[in-house]
Amino acid sequence: MMGATAISLEGLVAVDTDVARLRRGDLNALSELIARYQNRLYRYLLRIVREPAEAEDLFQQTWLKVVEKIRSFDPGRNFDAWLFTLARNAAIDHLRRIRPQSLDEPLADDAAGDTAADRLPSGEPAPFDRAVATERRRHVGEALESLPLIYREVLTLRFEEEMKIEEIALVTGKPLSTVKTRLRRSLDRLKQSLETRYPGADWQ
Amino acid sequence: MTEHEKIRDLLALAAAGALTGAEERQVAAHLRACPACSNELDAWRSLAADLQCLPTPQPSPRLLQTTLARAQAKLAEQGEEAWNRRVMIFVVAFAWILTVASWPFFHVLSRGFLSLFDPHLGQSWIAFAGFTSLVWLAGGSAAVLLALRQRRERRLA
Repeated sequence: MMGATAISLEGLVAVDTDVARLRRGDLNALSELIARYQNRLYRYLLRIVREPAEAEDLFQQTWLKVVEKIRSFDPGRNFDAWLFTLARNAAIDHLRRIRPQSLDEPLADDAAGDTAADRLPSGEPAPFDRAVATERRRHVGEALESLPLIYREVLTLRFEEEMKIEEIALVTGKPLSTVKTRLRRSLDRLKQSLETRYPGADWQ
Repeated sequence: MTEHEKIRDLLALAAAGALTGAEERQVAAHLRACPACSNELDAWRSLAADLQCLPTPQPSPRLLQTTLARAQAKLAEQGEEAWNRRVMIFVVAFAWILTVASWPFFHVLSRGFLSLFDPHLGQSWIAFAGFTSLVWLAGGSAAVLLALRQRRERRLA
């Protein structure tokens, strides 16, 4: 645990250093930042737009925005949240342009009336258990894909990006209470979707 | 809503690590006496663990290089724009100063050196400087508007 914290702190310091270098126009710092965030940012964009080619294009647009706006970035702020906010804005603009229906339809069960735009076990498992776990995760991944945008987004930010609730609130520009409500609803919807799609499996 | 139902509503968030300290204590106290909620929390934790272990989609190997190349072009473009802006400000300021300085110069040429001490010269010079600054300001604003329009068109292209 201590080791993980040390590595995480080291990572944060490295990001801060790269951001400071990028603000001075150092292209190597940009290369390091892109490599560091490559998988996370691409995964987040892919969860939003679902199309790999669109996610890659938005990935590039996001970094161009970073280059354009890095001088106005306040180094005291959270770079992760800032970066993911830029990516989110690019993705939402893109969806608004090409698939407006995917954003503007209010969600029937969303009481707040939000639109979508707003809104390993230890040890070595046996081969059979590994296969079961892989299959189960495939089902979870498919069910996640089937959820509306705001639910996919909050789940990927919390569980895949491992962001705190406060960070998710910064990225989405929503109050903490809204983020928590979305998180609870998205988990409910995910479970319902899994129970409907794969009724034989144990999701209880 | 009973205490049991209230706690059940919190279980998904408990598995997501999104409860406040007070809520966590409330849930923990309830779980000690409620095996049903305890089992349900285990199920939510299992789902949360699955979400954390989903395979990470991989972008194409060229993505890093393509992004870097575009970012490099963008940085170069920004650098060029900043340089052009500085040069334009310098040229406009220099031309205006030259124009304003030309007034007493031609005054001396046409009326002789002593005309520099004419009390009306200062007033007419200030009026001339004010008038030319307005002209240059209008010209400069037009150039800035044109540059902004061209930039917008480049972005849309």
